[in-house]
Formats: sequence, C-alpha cells, structure tokens
Amino acid sequence: MKLKILPPTLRIKNRYLVLDIKSEFEFSKNELVLAIWDACIRFYGECETSSFNLWLMRLYNSSPPIWEQNLTENDEITLNNLNINYKSNFECFYQKAILKCRRNSEDKVRASLATMSLYKGKKIAIATIGISGSVSSSKHKFIN
Amino acid sequence: MKYHDLNIRGSSYESDLRLILEANKLGWNYVNLIYSPDKYNLALKYRKDLEEKLDNIIKVANLKNKTEFEFGIEIKTRNPNDIRKNSRKFRNKTKFISIFGGDSKINRMACENIQIDLLSRPYLKRRDCGINHVLAKEAFKNNVAIELCFKDILTSYLSYRAKILSHFRDIIKLHQKFKFPLLITTGSSSIFDVRSPKDVSAVFKSIGLNEEEINSCFNSYPENIISFNNDRKDMVVLGVKEINR
Repeated sequence: MKLKILPPTLRIKNRYLVLDIKSEFEFSKNELVLAIWDACIRFYGECETSSFNLWLMRLYNSSPPIWEQNLTENDEITLNNLNINYKSNFECFYQKAILKCRRNSEDKVRASLATMSLYKGKKIAIATIGISGSVSSSKHKFIN
Repeated sequence: MKYHDLNIRGSSYESDLRLILEANKLGWNYVNLIYSPDKYNLALKYRKDLEEKLDNIIKVANLKNKTEFEFGIEIKTRNPNDIRKNSRKFRNKTKFISIFGGDSKINRMACENIQIDLLSRPYLKRRDCGINHVLAKEAFKNNVAIELCFKDILTSYLSYRAKILSHFRDIIKLHQKFKFPLLITTGSSSIFDVRSPKDVSAVFKSIGLNEEEINSCFNSYPENIISFNNDRKDMVVLGVKEINR
C-alpha cells in the first residue's frame, strides 16, 4: 500500500537547478544520474550528499549556441604570414537537464557539479544556468 | 557587478574566439587571455580580426552583453633574476604580467616586484601554500595579486584535490589577515574548463570565502589592477600622475 502524502509543513522544500551540459558524448539519463551522484560524493562525501535529496527530473537535447553556426563556416583569414582556418570538425554535445535538490543545498550541489571535468575518460562540463521553485517554471524560464 | 576572469589560456585564433564566446554565454564580463612571451606577438597580429569577428557574432546572434578582452603575458622561469629582466622588457608591451609561481624564490621575487600584477599559483607542486606572512605583507605593499586557479581543482582528484583545497584555505586565511589582492580565475584552456562565475563562487564559498570577499575577488581587485595598469604610462612615480591638458 502506498504511503499517505505528508502534510505541507512536514514536506521537504525543493529547488530545481537547470543544468547546461557540454560533453564529448551524448549522455543517457542513467549515465547523467551516476555522474551527478559521483561528483557530489567526491566533493562533499557520503554523509553530506545524503542530505541533498537529489533527483534528476528531465533531460533534454539542446541545440548548440547560435554563434556556433558562424564558427563552423569555412572562414579564412590571411594575415602577414599567417593562414588561419576554423576547424569545422569540433564536436560537442549540448544537453540541458532539470535536477531536484533540497532547498538551502543548491550552492553545494552546483559547487560539486562544477568540479566535474571527466566522466568515463570523456570531457564533460556542467554549468548551472538557473534555479527555480518548480519544474514548470524552470522549463519555461531557462529551457524554452 | 562585473565578473572578471584574468587568466584564460590563449593559444590560437579559433580557440580564443570559442573561449571568449563561451565565457560570454556563462556571464563573464571581462576576460584576460594569457600567452607565453613567444606566442604573444603572434596573438597581437590577429587581435583586430578577433575583435571584428566578435562584434560581428554579437550582432548576428543578438547577444545581450559584450565580453571585453585583453591580452597578457605569463612569465615562466626558474631563475629569479629573469623575473626582473622580463618584467622590465614586457611592461610597456602589455597591460598584464603574471608570474608562474611554485618555487619559493620566485614567489618571493614576484611579491617584491611592483611591476608584476599577478603571482599565479604559488602553491603549485609544493607541500605548503607557497605564501607566508612575510610574502603576504610584501604582496600587499606592492599590490601584487595572488591567484587561486579553479582549474587546479578541476584537473585533480582525491588526495591531490584535497591538498590543493587545503592550500587554498591557507592562502585565504592569510588574505583575510593581510588583505593582499586575491584573484579567483578559471585558468581555462578549452570550453570544457569554463564555468559560470556563480558556480566558481559556490566552490570557493565552500572553502571558506564569504560573499563579500568573493565579490571583491571577481570585481574590485581586478578592476583596481586594470585601472592601475591603464594609468601606469602617465605615472611618474607611484602616487604622482601626469595629467594631459
């Protein structure tokens, strides 16, 4: 039988972090969950991480920034003795995610996510681009 | 408030452009691209093109804020006497000179030299933080900033990361007592190393800096260095400035 929902005063207050993920490979939801937990446990340890109440709510594939199209054009600049070409083979996957965490531990979570640089030997960078009080508002503000 | 990152590794035109745009996207207002003395002249050649391309992209992509950038030199030497030579040689050529620290003699030489803007990573490959109360006083006197590089936390793990964090704590403790300028930088060389200012400040908050100190690390200390270096040409001696009429 399912437990009865706690009254609002006893419920845990949550915040939703919107993450901007750049990586050398495309993350699945499970892999991202493992990577987030790994980063938090590495930086804050098991005891502190247990109070974060982490839960990955959504994962989206996002488009590269608008200026990326300008960079991948075959643009060539000839200077005095220099020939400079853009490398159009630069590969990077852009994703966005919404991560639930306990209120007042947002800073700790974003700090531990910022310290992650590698996952399974591939480069990864997670930046927190926004914090919101509900999934819908975080989606509305930072993802759409 | 303006967020300054005074240590981004410049290497080539393409990489510099990507780094500046990524920094712009994440909210940095001012970045300083650091080169070795050999590469600096090469970088100056494409500086104008970089500015034009950036302006063009900002217009096309309709970006809200523009990130300013400046070029600087990092002197990496083992001989302490070379610091004085190189600082004199490059002072008029560039607006920003940093010294790659780590060696105790070099740390001391950098802190005692008013021509130097930044002592970069004094704790590198050391068992202590590389700064003591004597050097802290000298750094304050000569207005030499000490750098805490976020990339050192990023690239290390387990016991190495713990040691670097403890060095950071020691430097922060000295900063709180002696008030020498402290800079927090990302030290990024690729777009995977760039983090938003809020993320970086969250890490340093957990180490022991408070909000006010972090703000001055990102804003007031770098602005002081930049404005001091802009006025450096007109300065006859420290405290006396020639005013153009």
